[in-house]
Amino acid sequence: MARFIVRRLLQLIPTLAALSVLLFIWLRALPGGPEAALLGERATPETQAAIRERLGLDEPILGQYAAYVRQLLQLDFGTSTQTRQPVLEEFLNRFPGTIELTATAMVIAVGVGIPLGYFAARRRGSLLDNLTVGGSMVGICTPIFFLAFVLKWIFGENLGWLPTIGRQSPGAGATHITNLFVLDGIITREWDAAWDAFLHLLLPGIAVASIPFAIIVRMTRASVLEVLGEDYVRTAESKGLTHRVVRGRHVLRNALLPVVTAIGVLTGALLSGAVLTETVFAFNGIGLFVYEAIRNADYPVLMGFIMFIAFTFVMVNLLVDISYSIIDPRVRVN
Amino acid sequence: MATEPAQKLPPPPGPIGRWRGERLDQLAELAATPPDERGESLTRETLRRLRHSPMAMTGAAVVLVFVVVALVGPYVIPYSPTALVGLDQIRPGQIPGPSADHWLGLDHQGRDEFSRLLFGARQTLLVGIVATLIGFTAGAAIGGLAGAANALGGRLGRWVDSVLMRFIDLLLAMPPLLLAFSIAAVLGRSLLAVMIAVGVAATPIFARLLRGSMIAQAHRDYVLAATALGVRRNRVVLGHVLPNSLAPVIVQATLTLATAIIEAAGLSFLGLGNPDARIPEWGVMLAQAQAQLSFRPILAVYPAAAIIITALGFTLLGESMREALDPKLRR
Repeated sequence: MARFIVRRLLQLIPTLAALSVLLFIWLRALPGGPEAALLGERATPETQAAIRERLGLDEPILGQYAAYVRQLLQLDFGTSTQTRQPVLEEFLNRFPGTIELTATAMVIAVGVGIPLGYFAARRRGSLLDNLTVGGSMVGICTPIFFLAFVLKWIFGENLGWLPTIGRQSPGAGATHITNLFVLDGIITREWDAAWDAFLHLLLPGIAVASIPFAIIVRMTRASVLEVLGEDYVRTAESKGLTHRVVRGRHVLRNALLPVVTAIGVLTGALLSGAVLTETVFAFNGIGLFVYEAIRNADYPVLMGFIMFIAFTFVMVNLLVDISYSIIDPRVRVN
Repeated sequence: MATEPAQKLPPPPGPIGRWRGERLDQLAELAATPPDERGESLTRETLRRLRHSPMAMTGAAVVLVFVVVALVGPYVIPYSPTALVGLDQIRPGQIPGPSADHWLGLDHQGRDEFSRLLFGARQTLLVGIVATLIGFTAGAAIGGLAGAANALGGRLGRWVDSVLMRFIDLLLAMPPLLLAFSIAAVLGRSLLAVMIAVGVAATPIFARLLRGSMIAQAHRDYVLAATALGVRRNRVVLGHVLPNSLAPVIVQATLTLATAIIEAAGLSFLGLGNPDARIPEWGVMLAQAQAQLSFRPILAVYPAAAIIITALGFTLLGESMREALDPKLRR
């Protein structure tokens, strides 16, 4: 197992190296050249000279690339042209928001999706089944920003049940330690602040959950249907095992294998930020930050973000493979 | 179909000696043919199954209406989609609703909503088709190359396959929005940049599907037979494996049309779409309607419903095609 993990981590190196070459070329293909892109509106002759010096732009192209890689190795992703803060620091400040949102969405998607998919499969052809299949199809076909707006409009503006802006009410005076606001409230025993942050997570969480939910429901249903037809399920039933044992140990455990992979991949995708939803709810996570970076052509942030996504993606895949080998004894990582 | 009685054998020809030999050949041929493939080709059976599926027919009907509207719509609309025909009727916080002149009312700039909706179908179809074609071509090229390399085997083949698939994995991780921006940053903001971005975002799924399908086909008996007959490896892969692997990829193209439409709408919503915002496009219309949400929410519902129904049409069609082609569901 340890060898497997080390080997997979080593695979990160060529991936990130290839990506650094692509980003390096991309930055130089931009109109105005890298100085203009990296400095944004701060570009003055002095700052331009400084950045030429720092990036080694007067050196030959290979020297420039070496300088770029040297920076990356020191985890120096440059300075955001919007906030003038180091890119890494900005990410670390906003990532907890996205983690909270992802966790909320996946709890909703998995908690509702798996039972629903399971019962739809057990009662194949029933009203519940048809509603589930139809509903998940409509869910996949609905633009997420429209869903976000409908939720905001109904539950926020018309009914006024839930907050629709930001991660916590301003003036809540909450203490922040980890920047995971719900967790912070629990640690500091500021229960009101934790509850407030939790309420702020609900609407965006539902919007973000919609697509993972639809995918998980359909996969669970298809997978349970397949397993229900297997010989070993019939054998288990015919030898008189109780329904509970057959369902739990034989059907669900086997049926959930492909679903686990999907959950991992979907979580990875959400961790790179829900741009549309975070924008609609002004939710301060990675997605909103990237959206602002795109609007303001904040290239250092975007380049750092691309590296960040690649890293997250490889790590999530690694976790999926490890968890797979734990659930399924047939899959031995080697 | 497996329960159908075996086909009638033709009457025994000629003298006994020859008869037995030919008869044995016929029997052997029948025995070697799986019951599914007797009498009806895969294409014909799939089409027959599709005709009997209400899901497929609903999807096809929606797609047909959408395509007709996209083709004919711009010629039959009552008003120009960009003309501010009812500007004098617009007051702050007040937009006239449906009337005899304007079937769906006016939008926030006094343009005829119905005309804009019909005109928008063409933009949407154009973006969907071009983006899907880009994704299909690029994905099929990469996936086909990886699949062929894998099927041809050897150290080099495996290496090519592995490098190509790592690249595809990476592409899969990138949000389409970021791709759109990266492409627009180099090419300039245009409708083409949107199409390329959505197409590039769709590339990985085509590549993975074709590669997986080719690898599965490479282990089939007919490939073994062709190889045993001395057909060269390249011809086996290109002439036998590749054509037999295309069905799931074509089905995916139908499903990708739906996601392409939704993604293009998302890009428009974020202001990364067609720079000319006067041209009606469902995503742009939806984005513009958000400002009027408090007093005319229906303006957001029209384009949203158009997007959802169209995407649903393509999804229904694609899903039922996949089901009709899936041998596991063939009972």
